Amino acid sequence: MIVGLYGNQNSGKTTLFNELTGSNQKVGNWPGVTIEKKEGRIKGSDIEIVDLPGIYSLSPYTLEEEVSRKFLFEEKVDVILNIIDSTSIERSLYLSTQLLETGIDTVIALNMVDILESHGINIDIDKLSDALGVTIIKISAKNGTNIDNLISTIKEGNYKKNSNLKIYPNDVEKLINEISSSFNESIDNKRFASVKIIEHDRAFQILNNEILESRSQDIEKKYDMDGEQLIASLRYQFIESILKDSVKRTKRENTITDKLDKILLNKYLAIPIFIVIMGLVYLLTVGVVGRYTVDLIDSLFNGSSSIKGLGPLLEELILNAGGSPISASLVSRGIIAGVGAVCNFIPQIIVLFTLLAILETSGYMSRISFFLDRVFHKFGLSGKSLVPFIVGSGCSVPAIMSCRTIEDKDERHLSILLTPFIPCNAKLPIIVLFSSFFFGSSSWLVSFSLYLIAFLIILLSGYILKKLFYKGHESTFVAELPEYKLPSFKYVFKDVYDKTLAFIKRAGTIIFIFSVIIWFLSSFTWRFEYVDGENILIENSILASIGNAFSWFFYFILGGNNSWAASVSAIQGLVAKEQVISSMSVIAKVSDNEAIFNSQIFSFFTPITAYAYMVFNIFSAPCIGAISTMRKEFGNYKDMFKAVLFQTLLAWVLGSLIGLVQLLISI
Amino acid sequence: MQKFKTLKVGEEGHLSDLKRGQRCVVLNFHNDNNALRRRLLDMGITKGVIIEIKKIAPLGDPIDISLRGYELCLRKEDMYGIDIRVVE
Ligand SMILES: Nc1nc2c(ncn2[C@@H]2O[C@H](COP(=O)(O)OP(=O)(O)O)[C@@H](O)[C@H]2O)c(=O)[nH]1
Repeated sequence: MIVGLYGNQNSGKTTLFNELTGSNQKVGNWPGVTIEKKEGRIKGSDIEIVDLPGIYSLSPYTLEEEVSRKFLFEEKVDVILNIIDSTSIERSLYLSTQLLETGIDTVIALNMVDILESHGINIDIDKLSDALGVTIIKISAKNGTNIDNLISTIKEGNYKKNSNLKIYPNDVEKLINEISSSFNESIDNKRFASVKIIEHDRAFQILNNEILESRSQDIEKKYDMDGEQLIASLRYQFIESILKDSVKRTKRENTITDKLDKILLNKYLAIPIFIVIMGLVYLLTVGVVGRYTVDLIDSLFNGSSSIKGLGPLLEELILNAGGSPISASLVSRGIIAGVGAVCNFIPQIIVLFTLLAILETSGYMSRISFFLDRVFHKFGLSGKSLVPFIVGSGCSVPAIMSCRTIEDKDERHLSILLTPFIPCNAKLPIIVLFSSFFFGSSSWLVSFSLYLIAFLIILLSGYILKKLFYKGHESTFVAELPEYKLPSFKYVFKDVYDKTLAFIKRAGTIIFIFSVIIWFLSSFTWRFEYVDGENILIENSILASIGNAFSWFFYFILGGNNSWAASVSAIQGLVAKEQVISSMSVIAKVSDNEAIFNSQIFSFFTPITAYAYMVFNIFSAPCIGAISTMRKEFGNYKDMFKAVLFQTLLAWVLGSLIGLVQLLISI
Repeated sequence: MQKFKTLKVGEEGHLSDLKRGQRCVVLNFHNDNNALRRRLLDMGITKGVIIEIKKIAPLGDPIDISLRGYELCLRKEDMYGIDIRVVE
């Protein structure tokens, strides 16, 4: 049996899906589009459940809606599970009336009943259930209330069958019947298709004919509305009429949300508060947590004065067991140094993800989109671009995908192009490592300045690109402003857990493999002589000669230094940005068994060149993963190449300008 | 861009003309962006619906409106295409 989970955005779909399936889920993509598809099995049953995109309607205008529509008809959904935010029941039932028209059996999960009372809303579900001819179950996805009841209802088939509810006035129902009976037998979901013909839905026009068209026009004239407007109005009229009997609302004045918004959306305070909040996020992540954890974890891997460390310990073990120095070096200076360099940042990534998840689920993120839209709109972006930008401080891949919610094509294009400028969690290690070594106690300020520069660059590039390439285009912004909610612990935990696990997995796979490759290339010469640091130096290694081939590119960025090691490490940012640090760590270990900045090889770095190098790494082409996501979202290679070229050129110019300062000072 | 005027109860105009706290009834639409029009219909902005202006973004745009028991943000330029009559 297949159950399709349908509901508006923010209705609690994700929370319910997690409750229903536990950890039993698979995340993929809908065929041909980069919209996430989640499938799972309902706990204690063999019922397949598919999570569909959050939508408000089954109209033909957005990809999300098209995916949702197709799935209903092509995959033979047995039951629709329609989740509704009971605090916005009127708007939510609009989608329900469309789902019911498909003729597929539907169960409504009336969510968020835990906050109904405080909202002054009383819903008589028996009356509502009778009026709709649908089984309705009150749940709280967040608290897990009544979920068992919901599961057993679906499992046992204990719900009302679809009764082909008539919701329109007689004359419109008559027209629907007429259209239905003109179809030949092979057409499923006749009622749905008939309504779509009245709406002039382009996907159903092949079923239309002249007679039906003129009958539709009669109705349009009678009601003085075009078909699309007519059907939407009649749906809402029907919903209003049934809610009159089943829902009582006591009017609420000055809710907590309104009071909070008085401050958080205040004309003068909103933007300072926003900057302070984001500053706090990075102060906590980079400053406070970073200072205490990075060295600690690093000493666990590589040892310090008080702790032996995993790397040196393994090296000793291997040598004592009669292993060769080469294999000992591979383990301790290759794998442990490379993977460890990235793992140092796990605590910070956990903190960053936690804070972002809280910002998102509390409803504050929607406020930021709301008040920044005015600014972003001027710069060719949408307030909704903020979501990819903030998600992007986690990872560019889901961030680029989340640009889908931006309706306007140009704004979406620009957002995809600019999202990788936001320092993602993989760039965080680079930022933290350099700024804490070179800027000490003001390192969090330096990190924060990089995020600010990122934002400035995004706005500026947006402005310039808009003026040059995306002239005179209209765009729209339609978004819900949800109420403030206390973040759910479970929800935040799962979100952070999944993302952190993905980060660790990368350290265990990509970073692991590349650490071995970098160790190999830096430990051997072209004639396969082993770099022992005495007779044969790392400057003769394969890696050094590769790095020397393009160290000219980084000449200005590094303040007039030709460094094969820094160059070859920066290039590896294409694999994964944290690989830059991994590579530097491996090279430093192989060269003189030191931590990165204690090593002779990286001793040329000064605060200024450190800043320039960070700037280059942050703004240049993102990792392969992000680049291929960009290609998917753009839909072609040409735009992808243009974007990557633009990013890298910009990064080079900025980095070089900063590096030039160093060059001038030293002359 | 349109000129801003102050509308009194009973007067007709565009949704974008309203001030914070004013309530109005929707009379009709005039815009030629089909996707936007459908989106607004889907979100419940149909003929006869009552809309209240709830919040205005710190920079003056977009605007948060309340209708059908929930809140929705729109840009002023998109609200311009909605004809209304002030009721309160
Ligand atoms: N009070 C309350 N909040 C809920 C409930 N279900 C979900 N939420 C919250 O509503 C917000 C949106 O939920 P989410 O599952 O992300 O919705 P989606 O956008 O439909 O996937 C989150 O902050 C949830 O914690 C519920 O039953 N009661």
